[in-house]
This record gives sequence, structure tokens and C-alpha cells, in this order.
Amino acid sequence: MKKFMFAAFIAFWSCIATLLAVHAMSPEPRSAEADDDLPEYTLADIAEHTTLESCWMAIEGKVYDFTDYIPKHPTPPFVMEQWCGREATDGMRTKGYGPDHSPAAWAMMEPYLIGTLAE
Amino acid sequence: MLISARLARGLVWGLALVPLAVFLAGLGAHDFSSLSSILNMLGRLTGVLGLALLLLAAALSARVPGFDQPFGGLTKLWHTHHLLGAGSLLLLLAHPLLLALASAAHGYHLPVQMLFPPLSDTATWSGWLALLLMMIFLAPSFAFFGRPNYERWKRIHALAGPAAILALAHTFLFSRTMPANLDKVVWGLFALLGVGAVAWRLVFSRRAGRLKYTISAVEAVANNVVELTLQPERSEKRLKYQAGNFVYMTPLDKSLGAGCGEEHPYTLSSSPSEPDLRIAIKDLGDASRAIQSIRPGTKVRIEGPYGRFFPVKANPKQPELWVAGGIGITPFLARLRHLKALGQAADVHLVYAVQDEARALYAAELQSLIDTIEGARLTFHYFYREGPISAAYLVETCPDLDQREVYICGPLPLNKLVQDHLRRIGRPLSSIHTEEFELL
Repeated sequence: MKKFMFAAFIAFWSCIATLLAVHAMSPEPRSAEADDDLPEYTLADIAEHTTLESCWMAIEGKVYDFTDYIPKHPTPPFVMEQWCGREATDGMRTKGYGPDHSPAAWAMMEPYLIGTLAE
Repeated sequence: MLISARLARGLVWGLALVPLAVFLAGLGAHDFSSLSSILNMLGRLTGVLGLALLLLAAALSARVPGFDQPFGGLTKLWHTHHLLGAGSLLLLLAHPLLLALASAAHGYHLPVQMLFPPLSDTATWSGWLALLLMMIFLAPSFAFFGRPNYERWKRIHALAGPAAILALAHTFLFSRTMPANLDKVVWGLFALLGVGAVAWRLVFSRRAGRLKYTISAVEAVANNVVELTLQPERSEKRLKYQAGNFVYMTPLDKSLGAGCGEEHPYTLSSSPSEPDLRIAIKDLGDASRAIQSIRPGTKVRIEGPYGRFFPVKANPKQPELWVAGGIGITPFLARLRHLKALGQAADVHLVYAVQDEARALYAAELQSLIDTIEGARLTFHYFYREGPISAAYLVETCPDLDQREVYICGPLPLNKLVQDHLRRIGRPLSSIHTEEFELL
């Protein structure tokens, strides 16, 4: 058992090292300045995408298209569907009942960013 | 015995499955909808089961006298504790990796962002800290970087307390392991078990659980073995025990070279009918070496009794084979002294394995006890002359072996060797009883 535990211990740190190495070599995620180049949308534009077939949300001044993400979210689809086509910062910050999403969850939104919210 | 050792172990492992069952009940189709969701679900599952095992291991560490009985003694109980700890570490090592891998589905930079979020993410960092503490306090238990001495290992192992608290904080902050508020109820109960056990160890057992004794005599049995005689400071507060039990002894003599104020486990060699306790101690480490020169008059604290080597209600008609190695003679010596004190007959055959004649501890006393007790026999096995004990040797020395319950106490290699022989001869596991004094 001792050898097995030691192997698991080494395997763990090898995995962490691999993830860090991949991370260091992969291209930087889009920076904040780059967001300025994105198109602007109004709340009216967003309100046209309220279904699971096309679901946009405004969160903290940015606009996301979560259509492809909803099947991957841990809750059943109707939970996110309620926020489609709306200003959804509250949904992100409170999950609808209190606790904020984790920083990891916030980071996961990045690939779905399509624009910024018009003032 | 109210419950068997198997049932006691089964209950512990069954209890570990309760949080898992609640977790599984909360799963839905979306948890299996993609590879990423399955990895994420497994990541959460390993976290739930790992924490359950960790808290149960903590609960078993309480060392409440008597609680070890259904498990077949403290060393057997610790075997379960050890397995729970190993299982917990394996699961909790997998836990962050699975969650990180699952997040890779949404971007290659996400696993690292998830594993190493900003410092403000206390939920994640408390989990990390708990896992790092686990690696530190379990590293010596699994001899990752060699074997530390007992007292150092114990101090490091105490980090299990903060680790369990941080792990609980981690799961409470995320509060998404189980449906609704069930996680608070389940983890609250498990936390109570663990905290109750630690409270017993650190508060109650140190005060009420330890009996006050004074060393009244120190007798050199061999050049590296002494037998201490201990008198209770108050005669109404004396230890009640069975022959073959062991205790934790804490010497309180600052002039000792090592081990003052440290507790170490030793087998009692006295008959439970004697007014005083006797403990034979071999020089096996720093603390037991220092005890070789301990002085009469030294005050000690005794905690126990522990262990269940011999059955509580021994059947005097049941023939037994005893195999002792070196200092492993002590539980048998206690039993023989007790048989003599009670004037009882016993059909026992003691095989005492030692390196050579000079290392046979208590040789003269053993011979005289055997001569006094009707039905008892003694065979010395000398390693230098006969090599390691073989199956043929056991059968030849003890021809009615297949009718005897076997009790083995000695160094681990001897213990394993004799068990292997007995298994090969066809003795069922249930008829073999062992006492291990190597606790790690």
C-alpha cells in the first residue's frame, strides 16, 4: 500500500505540473482592451434571444451567447433559460438563491463573450 | 461479544457511504450529458466520499477504552483507520484534478485558473490548504520520505485536526455537494463525530482517562529489556484489564533521556489478579531506551486497557497454540501468570521463537509456569540453529495443530510467516489471532 500511495502522490503533482505547463504554453486569453473591439448590443438586441435555441445574456456590462453552454451547465436547462434575453448579473452573482458563482465559473464565461452592453 | 469485527468494520464503511448516497440521489441526467459533466460529477463525488472517509478516520482515532473491542482490539481498529485515511487521500488527490480536467472543455486556460484562482477565493484555497496538510500529515504514515520516530510522527499527524476543519470549511463554502440543505445536516453530523473524537483525545482522556501510578520496582530481564512494576497511587483507582491487554504509559520524569511526558503503548505482562501492574519494555526506540534506566519512584500515567488478543471469555477446554517471537512473549507471559494465579489448567502449547538461548526472555520463569500449569507445554525455537519457522516444523512440534486456535505475537516478519504457513496448512483465518506491536 505504501508504494501505491507514493505513486499516487507523485502522479498528482505530475498532473498539476502538466496542467501548469500546458497553461504556460497556451495563448493568452483575450485581454480587457481587446473587448473594446467587440460589437455593442443594447438590451433590446439581447431580448431577441430568449430561448434555448438562442440564449444571450448581459452580465456586468458584457454580452454572452450561452446557447452552446447551457447543456453543459450543472443544473437542468430551465434554470439558465429564465435568464435568457435579460440582464443576468444577478443570476451569476446569486445563483438565484444566494451564493456567488466561483471565480472558476466566472472565468469559464470568457469563450462565450460576443460583445459589450451599450450604455 | 455484541457485534463481530466484520460487522463493526462494515458499519464504519457503511456510514461512509451515507453522504455518497445523498449525493447520488441529487444527480440528474445533465450530470452524464458529456465527458466534461461526467468528470465534473466524479470530481464532486470524490470530494464527498474523501471527506466522509477523512472525518470517519478522525472519529476512529479517539481511542476510547472499550471502543476497540468490537473491532478485535486497537491495532485492528487502527488498521481500519489506516485504510480510511489512505482511501481519503487517494480520493481527495483525484478530486481537484477531475474538476480541473472537466473545466478544460470550456477553454485550455481554465483548469489552471480553476485550480489557482485569486486569493480572495477562500473556498478553493481552504480546500488546497486542507489537501496540502493531508499530504504533510500522511506522508510519514505511508513512509513517503522514510520513517520518522513515533513521537515526531504523532506531532505531524496532529495536523489532521486543522486539515479536517479546513476541508469542512471548503465544502460548506461551496455548499453544492448535495441537494437543498442536506449537505449542512450530513456534514454537520460527520463534523460532530470527528470533533467529538478529538475532544475526547485532547481534553477528556488526558484528565479523566489517565490513571496515576508510581514505579515501585525496575527489574532487568535482559541487557535490553526491563520489567517495571507499577503501584496505583490510589488503590481504588486501579486499572481493570484482561491478560494480554496493552496500555499507553506516560512517564513523568524530566531526567529521562527521552520520552518524558510522551505516551507509548506497552503490553501488560502481569496477571490481572495482581494488585500491581507489570510491564516488560524492550529497547526499540529513543523512549523505550530511556526507560531502561528509569528509577523506582518515578510517577507515570496509564491509559487503557486496549487490545483484544485473547477472547474475553476464554474456553478453558479449547486447545491453543501460542507462537511468540522475542518481546512478543509478554501477552503469553501475562496469560500464564494469570492461569497460575487462578490455579487453572489449560491445553496450551507455547512455541517461543528467539535468536539463541541468551535472547530467550523469562526462560526460567516460563519453564516454571509451564511446569505448574496442567496441560501446558513449551518449545523453544532457536533461529540460529533451526532457521526461520517452517510449516513442517509447526506440524512436527504440534501434531494436533488443526484442532488448536492459534495466537501469534512477535515481530511482523515472524507474524506473517507463521500466518502464511497456517493458511497453507489449511487453518481457517477465523482460528488465527494476532497481535501486532508495530502500529504503522
